[in-house]
Parts: sequence; structure tokens; C-alpha cells
Amino acid sequence: MNAAASFGAEPTVAWRAEVDASCAYPVVAFFVSAVFWLLFGTVLALVASIKMHTPGFLSGAEWLTFGRVRPVHLNTMIYGWGSMAGIGTLLWLQARLSRVRLPLQLPLVVGCALWNVGVAGGSIAILTGHGTSVEWLEFPYGWSFLFAGIFVVVMAASLMMFSARRVGHVYVSQWYLFGSVLWFPFLYVMANALIHGALARGVVQAATNWWFAHNVLGLWFTPIGLATVYYLLPKVLGRPIHSYYLSLLGFWTLALFYNWAGTHHLVGGPLPAWLITVGIVGSVMMFIPVTTVAVNHHMTMKGHFALLKVSPTLRFIVLGAMSYTVVSFQGSLQSLRTVNEVTHFTHYTIAHAHLGVYGFFTMVMFGAIYYIAPRLTGREWSSPRLIKVHFWGTALGMAVYWLGLTWGGILQGLAMDNPDVAFLDVVRHTLPYLWSRTFAGILLATGHVAFAVLAWRMFTLKGRRLPEPASAPSAVLAGGAG
Amino acid sequence: MSPIYAVVWGTVALFGATAVYGLVWAIRTGQMRGFGRGALSIFDDEEPVGMVTDAFPGSIDASEDAGDRP
Repeated sequence: MNAAASFGAEPTVAWRAEVDASCAYPVVAFFVSAVFWLLFGTVLALVASIKMHTPGFLSGAEWLTFGRVRPVHLNTMIYGWGSMAGIGTLLWLQARLSRVRLPLQLPLVVGCALWNVGVAGGSIAILTGHGTSVEWLEFPYGWSFLFAGIFVVVMAASLMMFSARRVGHVYVSQWYLFGSVLWFPFLYVMANALIHGALARGVVQAATNWWFAHNVLGLWFTPIGLATVYYLLPKVLGRPIHSYYLSLLGFWTLALFYNWAGTHHLVGGPLPAWLITVGIVGSVMMFIPVTTVAVNHHMTMKGHFALLKVSPTLRFIVLGAMSYTVVSFQGSLQSLRTVNEVTHFTHYTIAHAHLGVYGFFTMVMFGAIYYIAPRLTGREWSSPRLIKVHFWGTALGMAVYWLGLTWGGILQGLAMDNPDVAFLDVVRHTLPYLWSRTFAGILLATGHVAFAVLAWRMFTLKGRRLPEPASAPSAVLAGGAG
Repeated sequence: MSPIYAVVWGTVALFGATAVYGLVWAIRTGQMRGFGRGALSIFDDEEPVGMVTDAFPGSIDASEDAGDRP
């Protein structure tokens, strides 16, 4: 396994094959792990969802109580599925865009293994009652050192590739990747130091918590997701981005505004009004980067929507990009005090969060894995039918989930703001929407099982060998990397 | 000063410095010029503009099914 190395005057097919081959072991390791945590987190999601309308379900064991199952679902999806799929995609994209071999392959594979240990250990800790109860940082403090150390390896690999890059121009996706790989580790270390280091207590802890939690999406998942769309959308279509100027404007305005938005989660809370107003202003300013992305993606796709029938990658990333627009505009409006007074503490917020992490980021990661994996293994995906089951299961599942909980959440909020309605009546009225959540979960789980079967066949090299591999030789997974 | 403050303020400084440095570097090295060329930088002779690069497994040629592509 070698350090980052650039290429001389090889034909393009040579550099592409070598870059993809160098990524094979680390990226496949991250993808396989991600799919495992996706399935694990899905089971926990179903259990938690059923408990919302049928509280007696699996109530005999402490470790299966809602207060433990739900945070394990959240953390396995965030740190297991989302982050591992994101890191795999980030590494491949950075190598492709820099046109250099992936460096630090062995440390990255070891890092992947340790990351799995961290997610498993943290999950067991929560299930055995040792969670921290700090949302999105529920793993006990000690595990954060492990994740921070692995972030350093990912950061180093990314910087090494950038410094050895063969292409002078820094493509817009690379800006987004730097946003995630440089800023999120700082944020993670900072939040852990403040919250677990006892500097932030009381309402300050809550402010720090939501500043961090909101930026998990804003400075980690969003930049990786948008970097992926900005690369794959033009590559799949075979046409450049509609407005490159807008794409860069979108990145820099996101860098400027997103970091401020987190305190809108505490509208109505016992914090200084100015602090919450800053969060609201930051949220509303997000209209600028989101509009640039929405216009750019739509205009790039315009006249080419028929390709959605042809390309599985395109289906997922276009749906993901559309979800990004909707969830971002929704988030900006939701931060306004008048809207927040109704939607806060309701299922509406849960629907919104899932549209962001699932409808946007997860869909984009599915699309990325469909594009990247055949280039690493030299194999085709084994079944178009299973891909369609995956797509329609997850797309319909997400639609049912979002519509049900959004509408149910608004009704719930209006009822809770009405002093004439008893609280238990409010709870009773939400039951149909909670059942719709479980139904949606079953659809999503069906899609995930189909995806896991496809991934299993892909990574055990059971798919048909690609006639003329565009990049990776078929021997890559059998020892040809490097 | 407590080590925890060093971590906090060090992180704040690094966080802001990377953004400012990145923007200054981008302007000084001409990254903010020639947007048309920048958009084309992900294409090359092997995967040129006009080539569709993804299709369902078993498809003969994705570009043949490109539908309403010009």
C-alpha cells in the first residue's frame, strides 16, 4: 500500500483504473460496514416506531426500552451508516478529483475497523444504560477519542491527495469535501470538550448541543452529499453543471451561514433572545445557498429527465437533491418563531430531520454506492429488479413517513397550543400518524434488505464481470490494489 | 489556563482560519476565474461531455436510451 502518488502522462484510462484500484480496500470496507449499520439501525428504528403506538411491545427488557433503543438507532445511523458511507464516498471522490492514488490505505482500513468497534461499543453502552443523554453525542465520552483519531487519518489522506493533485483547478465538489473533512472534526472535538469537559452546563450545554447536532447535518453530511451530487450529476448526464459560478457561490454562502443556525432548535427556551435570533437569521440566510443549489441542479437536469429511467445512480441522487431543496426551505421557515411555536416538540420535527438525513443524504449515498462499487470491483450490480425494489421501497417509504408525520405534527402542535384539549387526547389523536410511521418503516426496511442483498453479491464478486472495466481490474479485491 | 480552554480556543481559531485561508488562497491562485473551464475539469477524452456513464445492469448502451438528450 502506497502513499499518494500522482501520474505522469498516462492515458486517461490508466489513471482512472489506478485511482479506483487504490481505493478498493478502504472504500469497500467503509461501504460494507455502512450497509451493516444501515440494517442494524433499521431494526432498531422499527422497534422504536412500534413502541410509539404500542408501548407494551418488547417492554420486558430494560435494554429494549424506548429511551435506549431510539438513541442507538440514531447513533448507528449517524455514525455507522451515514458517516461510514460518507467517508467511503469522500475518499473516492477526493482521489478521483485529484487524480491521485488513495494514500494511507492500511491506516484507513484499520481506522474503518476501529470505527466499527467504536459504533458497536457505544451502542452497547447505551443499551446497557450508560448513554450520556446528550442528543447526537449519546456514546460515552471515551469513544469520542477513538472517532477523533480516525478523523485525523481521514483528514490527512484528504490533504495528501489534495497536495499531490494533478489537476490545477479545484472542482466545486472538493471545496465541499474540505468543508466536511476539515470543519466537522473540529466541531466534534469542540462539542465533546465543551459538553463532556464540564465547561458547558445548563442552558449553555443545550445551546452547545444543538449547535453541534445541527452542524452534523450542516457541516458533515450536507457538504459530502452536495459534493457527491455536484460530481455525479454532470458525470452521469455527460454535461457540465449549468452554472459553475452559482455552485461556488452556494458553497461559500453555506460556509458562512450554516454554522449559525443551530440555536433555532431552542426557540422558546430559557436562552438570551439575541442568541436564538442569531440562529433564526442564519437559518433564513440559508435560502441563498439552497436556492443556488436548487436552480443549478434543476437546470442541469432540464431536458434530460428521461435518463432517470436508465440510471439507478441518477434516480437516487436526483431524489436526494430534490429532498435537499425541500428540507432546507422547510428548515428555514421552521426556524421562524411563529412557525416554531406550533411545530416544536411535535412529530413534525422528526419528519423534517428524516427528510434531511434520509431523503437527502441517504438517498445521495445510495446513488453514490451504485456508481462507485462497480468501478471498484469490476462487477455489475446483479439485479435491476432488486435495484427498483430498493428505490421504490425507500422513495415511497420516505414519502409516507414525511407526509404522515408532517401533517400529524401540525395537528399535534395546534392541539398542544390549545389549553382546552387534554394532553392525553392529543396523544390519542396522533396514533394514526404513528401507525403510518411504522408502515413507512416497513417499506424502508424492504428497500434496505434489497440493497443489502445487492451489496452482498457485489462485494463477494457475484455480479457479472463488466465487459470492459472503465477503471478497476477485476483482480482488485483479490489483491491487486496499490 | 486549563487545558480544556486551550482545546476550545485552539479549535475556534483553527476552524475560522481554515475558512479564511481557503478563501484567500482560492482568490490568489485564480480558482475564482475561468468558471467555464472549471465545470469541464471532470471530463476528459475517455469520459467526454455527451457520454452517459451510468445505467441499469444489463443495459446495452446507456447513451442509446438517452431519451430527450440533444
